[in-house]
Amino acid sequence: MIEITDVYKSFGANPVLQGVSARVAAGEVVCLIGPSGSGKSTLLRCINGLETYDEGSIDVLGSRVDSRGKNANALRKQVGMVFQRFNLFPHRTALENVMEGPVHVNGQPKSEARRLAEELLGKVGLVTKLHAYPRQLSGGQQQRVAIARSLAMSPKIMLFDEPTSALDPELVGEVLSVMRSLANDGMTMVIVTHEMQFAKQVADRVWFLHGGKIVEEGSARQVLGAPKEPRTRDFLRRVIGEDAEPVSSIERHSVS
Amino acid sequence: MVWNNIVEYTPILLDGAVVTVMITVGALIISTPLGFVWAMLKRSRYKPVSLVASSIINVVRGLPMIVLLFYIYFVFPDVGIRLTSLQASIIGLGFGYSTYVAEVFRSGIEAVDPGQMEAAQSIGMGRIKAMIRVVLPQAFRVALPPYSSTLVMMLKDSAIASTIAVAEMTRQGQLIAASTFQNTTVYTMVAVFYLAMSLPMMRVTKILERRFGKHEMT
Repeated sequence: MIEITDVYKSFGANPVLQGVSARVAAGEVVCLIGPSGSGKSTLLRCINGLETYDEGSIDVLGSRVDSRGKNANALRKQVGMVFQRFNLFPHRTALENVMEGPVHVNGQPKSEARRLAEELLGKVGLVTKLHAYPRQLSGGQQQRVAIARSLAMSPKIMLFDEPTSALDPELVGEVLSVMRSLANDGMTMVIVTHEMQFAKQVADRVWFLHGGKIVEEGSARQVLGAPKEPRTRDFLRRVIGEDAEPVSSIERHSVS
Repeated sequence: MVWNNIVEYTPILLDGAVVTVMITVGALIISTPLGFVWAMLKRSRYKPVSLVASSIINVVRGLPMIVLLFYIYFVFPDVGIRLTSLQASIIGLGFGYSTYVAEVFRSGIEAVDPGQMEAAQSIGMGRIKAMIRVVLPQAFRVALPPYSSTLVMMLKDSAIASTIAVAEMTRQGQLIAASTFQNTTVYTMVAVFYLAMSLPMMRVTKILERRFGKHEMT
């Protein structure tokens, strides 16, 4: 579904991606982990053309993502994206946010889009918040609306850019559980995350990025449970805590 | 008798007020779309386009409005463009103010989180549609208060047209005062009439702000 071949990118003199190659198969859930500045978000944003890249190629659903990010609209209808800061449209209600794509991109009739939006907002547990404006919702609720907004386009792939990083700890669980149920439904997902427990439970594969390269790649169990690379071990030790316990023994009450 | 004077001067000043409103509305109709165009050109991804736009904006903003007006009224005829004094004042004010309006719109657009454009694009929206449906409504809300001050300034600056003999309200006041020496009465009336126009304008903005800001209420 996604084929990344030898992608390079730099911001000015600062190299961000230095020869990344990877692939994502249909129905796979991939988690991207790594220290900040390792290029995780940039790589994710290159996949739907929000970011340009300098060299290499990215193919998504059988078509090339233009390196300059041009004409990506058709692609983006099929690739949903959830942002760290939610980026809901503040001047529209939850329902209108979700209806925006179907009505104004796909040209669906309003009544049909409305039924779909209500169904999706019900699915993410927000059936009572249809007419709330983003400002009136908690971070967790906003992020769930954002997920519903992406799903309304019936994407074949969903990208998540640190979807829980801007949330208060007690709100993380509700977003992760929505993501978990998406994964169970067989959605192809690429997730930049720091939630190692979640990654362990939900991801089929984990990519560990460091210095603009994927330095370790494998099943979640292997990369998170028994990392081969010293840099991966080092990173996991710092993320999880000093003792470097295997991830499975870490308690995280927010993950339900 | 002051009261008699007021009764006598009111229709003359009202004639002027009509012209003042004409200039203001005419300049508004020119400056708003033109300002929007400047703002868009200045934000263009093509360097030469944005450079030309920002140069024009800065040059016009760097000129006193009255000089701009004199230029259009007295210099343009030399190149064959003859305008009545009313036309010259509407065009001068409209053109001059378009550059201020441009800056108001531009700062409004730039105040909108870039994540909004990205979110709109991420659901497959093109840049232009995303601008219209997502960015501009938010930018308009931000731009509304400075835009309204600009309009009030435009109303007040329409008095400059008196210098090229347009019979707007200030000019009418001057004429009455010159022939009657009733300076206090006349200019107090002129001031009150301006306020009668500018204060409601500010009031309308407040109402609009509330209307477009309803999502901000909890």
